[in-house]
Amino acid sequence: MNILSITSITKFYGRIRALNNVSFEVPPASVFGILGPNGSGKTTMLGIVMDVLKASGGSYSWFGEPASEKQRQRIGTLLETPNFYHYLSGEKNLRIAAAIKGRGAGDIPRVLEMVKLTERKDSKFSTYSLGMKQRLAIASCLLGDPSVLVLDEPTNGLDPVGIAETRELIRELARGGKTIILASHLLDEVEKVCTHVAILRRGELLMAGDVNVVLTNEDYIEVGAGAENSAALQQLLAGLPGARQVRAQEDHVQIFFENGPMDPGEVNRICFEKGITLNHLQLRKRSLESKFMELTDERAAKK
Amino acid sequence: MLHLLRIEWMKVKSYRTFWILLAMTIVSIPGWSYLIISLMNNKFPKSNGKSFLGSPFAFPDAWQTISYNSAPFLFIIPAILVITLTTNEFTFKTHRQNVIDGWSREQFVSVKLFEVLLLSIVCTVIVFLTTLIFGTMLNKVPDGVSIWSGCRFVFFYFIQAISYFTIAFLMALLIKRAGLAMAAFLGYLIGEQIIVGITINLLHSDAANYLPEEVTDSLIPQPYGKKMLTTPDQISQWEHHIPIYLVVALVYLILYLVISRRRFKTSDL
Repeated sequence: MNILSITSITKFYGRIRALNNVSFEVPPASVFGILGPNGSGKTTMLGIVMDVLKASGGSYSWFGEPASEKQRQRIGTLLETPNFYHYLSGEKNLRIAAAIKGRGAGDIPRVLEMVKLTERKDSKFSTYSLGMKQRLAIASCLLGDPSVLVLDEPTNGLDPVGIAETRELIRELARGGKTIILASHLLDEVEKVCTHVAILRRGELLMAGDVNVVLTNEDYIEVGAGAENSAALQQLLAGLPGARQVRAQEDHVQIFFENGPMDPGEVNRICFEKGITLNHLQLRKRSLESKFMELTDERAAKK
Repeated sequence: MLHLLRIEWMKVKSYRTFWILLAMTIVSIPGWSYLIISLMNNKFPKSNGKSFLGSPFAFPDAWQTISYNSAPFLFIIPAILVITLTTNEFTFKTHRQNVIDGWSREQFVSVKLFEVLLLSIVCTVIVFLTTLIFGTMLNKVPDGVSIWSGCRFVFFYFIQAISYFTIAFLMALLIKRAGLAMAAFLGYLIGEQIIVGITINLLHSDAANYLPEEVTDSLIPQPYGKKMLTTPDQISQWEHHIPIYLVVALVYLILYLVISRRRFKTSDL
């Protein structure tokens, strides 16, 4: 059973289409990254599944059931900005959150300690720095040790130490078997902690799945044999030992391998034996950064 | 609802603005009437030791007088309280957080409306106690007059209070910003009075009596100098209209509830 299933969600803000027919599934015990540049629809997506925004179309379900407020009580959520009563102390704010979640106040000291806010728990929220506000929001998510966490840009406003601590915390929670849905525009954040990823650009879902499949970071081989041989070439390459994915580009075919690329000479030999003469063969290296840029590039979108 | 109210209590119990506005609301009701009493006693002309305004603070008229004094001018302070507590949620985005943490939208808007009801009850109780105390301590209860006769005005006051406070809540919910919502509330309060003045004096129509606020104001007529200024015909006319005013006020109230719930349940937060 999937933790979260999103089916064909569309959202309009007036005439602006913020999300277009987005569907994906979040499997249990995954760290699911929602990746995309600013304004790509990440927060809108999470706002809809937390019922603070109304979708224009489509549906979603949590834990295989139609959405309800009871389910939200079992999910720790940090959406967009830390939202607390400015005139109350950090601790009193957490008491309210705990009461709404239907839990006692007993867990508050533990979560305050986890985000290192114990000393400042009695200070008013309005006196907190940006990083402390963010940490209080993370503490609020952790209340009652929920099995599912939804974190929207959790490292926003944190200093480098805070960012590292938050990442370690997310890894630790993931090791404990929790499902974490993490929205971020920071590629390395997603790369470092996520097991699955969905990539959004201008409200369109570009791809979703296992992070190693979507965000391939390894070298790959690019071959070409002319348009007339393209279909035969793809079929042949898909059967290569260790080939994981074959992707056709405009006049090349890219082959990705499970455990590093095979020797280009070997590829050439196999193709030649099968009667396909290559006119292009290259071992390529691609960084995640360029992959992400390519995926989310505006010009690429217009192609 | 009790659980929801307990959480609302956590929000306000250490909020100084809440306590100041609540205290001002509570003190203003006896304070304002007391001010009028002292003005009447000291500044107004008397003949044979009696004011020409009659004895509006003696039973049975005390119920009408104190209910009349306490509305709608004094509603401004509790209305500011309602607007502040509601727009705070929008300012801090805690209305979103409450829903994210596990309240339904229905629960959020219901508990806020329930608070409006509670505030109306608190004000009504203060009016009730003020009348009892002023009616018995500052004046001798006239022979043969039950202190309870005329106490229906306190109920009319309650209808008036809940109507005004719900309007304030609705404006806070629709406008979302404290300053603008207060300006809208005050602007409407004054604006409606201007419309009422124009339609009655220039158009000679009583249609404006059925406007949202005026219809509840009409439940409590002006009590001062009643014997001099009011004809028996006017009194029986008013008496005749009470059920109509009440029904119209109720229809408005239901409308406010429907609009505010629908608004909060269907819009983006």
